[in-house]
Amino acid sequence: MSLSFKPIRPLLQTSANAGSRWFSYVGLGIGVLLLLCSIQMYVNIQQLLGENASQKDGFDYISISKTITNETMGQLEKNLFHEEEIKELASQPFIDGVSPLLANNFRFQVSGGSLVPFVSDFFVESLDEEFIDTVPPGFTWQEGQTDVPVIIASDFLEIYNVFAPGYGLPQISEATATNLGLLFICYYPDGSREMFRGRIVALSDRINSIIVPKNFLDWANQRYGHRQEVRASRLYIKTRDANNPAFLDYLAQKQYKVNKDKTKFGRVKTILQGVFSGLGIFGLLVVVLALLLFSFYLQLMIARSKDNLQLLLTIGYSPQWLSNRVTRQFIPTYVLVVLFALACTQIMQWAFHQFVMPGRSELSSWTHWVVVVVALLLIGLSLFTNYRLVRKLLYNLY
Amino acid sequence: MTIHLQQVLPEYFDASRMDSSEVWGKDLQFQKGEYIKIVAPSGSGKSSLVSFLYGIRKEYNGSIRYDDAVIKNLSAEQLAQYRKNHISIVFQDLRLFPEQTVRDNIELKRQLNPFHPPEKIDEMAERLGIAPKLSSRCRICSYGEQQRVAIIRALMQPFDFLLLDEPFSHLDEKNSQKAMELMLEESRLRNAAIIFADLERIDYFPFTRLFHL
Repeated sequence: MSLSFKPIRPLLQTSANAGSRWFSYVGLGIGVLLLLCSIQMYVNIQQLLGENASQKDGFDYISISKTITNETMGQLEKNLFHEEEIKELASQPFIDGVSPLLANNFRFQVSGGSLVPFVSDFFVESLDEEFIDTVPPGFTWQEGQTDVPVIIASDFLEIYNVFAPGYGLPQISEATATNLGLLFICYYPDGSREMFRGRIVALSDRINSIIVPKNFLDWANQRYGHRQEVRASRLYIKTRDANNPAFLDYLAQKQYKVNKDKTKFGRVKTILQGVFSGLGIFGLLVVVLALLLFSFYLQLMIARSKDNLQLLLTIGYSPQWLSNRVTRQFIPTYVLVVLFALACTQIMQWAFHQFVMPGRSELSSWTHWVVVVVALLLIGLSLFTNYRLVRKLLYNLY
Repeated sequence: MTIHLQQVLPEYFDASRMDSSEVWGKDLQFQKGEYIKIVAPSGSGKSSLVSFLYGIRKEYNGSIRYDDAVIKNLSAEQLAQYRKNHISIVFQDLRLFPEQTVRDNIELKRQLNPFHPPEKIDEMAERLGIAPKLSSRCRICSYGEQQRVAIIRALMQPFDFLLLDEPFSHLDEKNSQKAMELMLEESRLRNAAIIFADLERIDYFPFTRLFHL
């Protein structure tokens, strides 16, 4: 038959200073709630802002170029990326892939055709398909084909719609733009020209350029270009986190320019995460205070039950068994308090997803598993600290 | 189990005590099955000796061992094991839980390492004449009744040694005799030794060795 704690329970004066015990329970509840909610919000921010428009498969794709200063102005050598520089970038631990944005090295013009009658010198670029967010099915080109598919930045359409009325040109919608027949005019070094029909297959929020299939640009650069070597003025970088301080420091140190828009989410994210980290630390502080208050209660209870506990030890009760059982008395309340805080966090998360951020599929209505693990750890931590304290106090009675 | 005493003398006693005492400053061994009587007037250290043997006081020079284990070096956990399995005691100051009933007091010891079933409590209480008090709180029992509660409590566990520190100080001759009979029976059942410290010799304790403290 196992040793029963039932006849021992009345020997502990648990009613002594019950006020401080209840205060500590309430404090623990509030502290745990604050901590769990902060962690959950931290995770939410990570999910909402960590995956902004530039992300694909959990990676950030951003373009960088060299900062053109008064000293380097006009020196193409210094403003283009060399092979070694690309290799060095690719070898950095925070960079998962680099692809040069290759531009045309011949004169290139775009015309809107009969619907949008304008002609302008322009540029086209090409990029490895891996770096393009969604590659449309028609984005291919074969030699001999006069149709060239193209992906343009949606910003360009916006800019066009701003200046078009001033030139008496019609403003166009996204739907129309994708059906618009463009005319690409490629010039040989001697001034003669060839024309291609441009077909917009997609608008991109990520790529701030006009992208043509890589094989078309390679072919065109060979055919119309006046330089054999093609070097990139912009690089596309694939990274786990475009807001990684080590990554940004590296770029700053190399004087590479980054699209600020891509990192602005990072700044907001950092601030919000800072706020919630602060709240989390405050919650942790409240938890510590609550545990401290409970330790006072335990000390007082043991001091008041000292004679009885001492006599139990004298007649042969093991101090370890007693510590275990005395601590176990408070397990149900502790578990209940933390579970209550966890339930409140769950309700908060559900309400946040349903009412504050409805339709955000990257968020979940359920609390993140990390929150549950932290809640369990907190139960363990509270019980462990209580056990240690009771054990120490009981051994002192010996 | 054997208890060894080696040159034991309380720190607060003068060394000259060793000359007149048959225990202090001597090398002694107590074996299972022995009945040891220790007789001494008040103030000669009977309770000190019993407390040293039980391991609740350590203010002495020399050493006391349970077999090879020096009591002073035992951890709290090890001492608890000895008290639970090998050594039982009736304190002079009884040490009962005043707010608990007589039965609860005895049960608290019994459940620790049950040598007897719970019914044995009723049987022993009946024999010692405290059965009607089983449900009463200890603090309202007379000192004589409490002494019998302490005796029954000590007999609830297995033991190799039963330490008695003036266990009959508040009992009349008849009740003392009954209690002694019970303790002898229980010791025989376990082939245990009794170390009985008292002011004077009593005829109904069949000691095998007698020491003057």
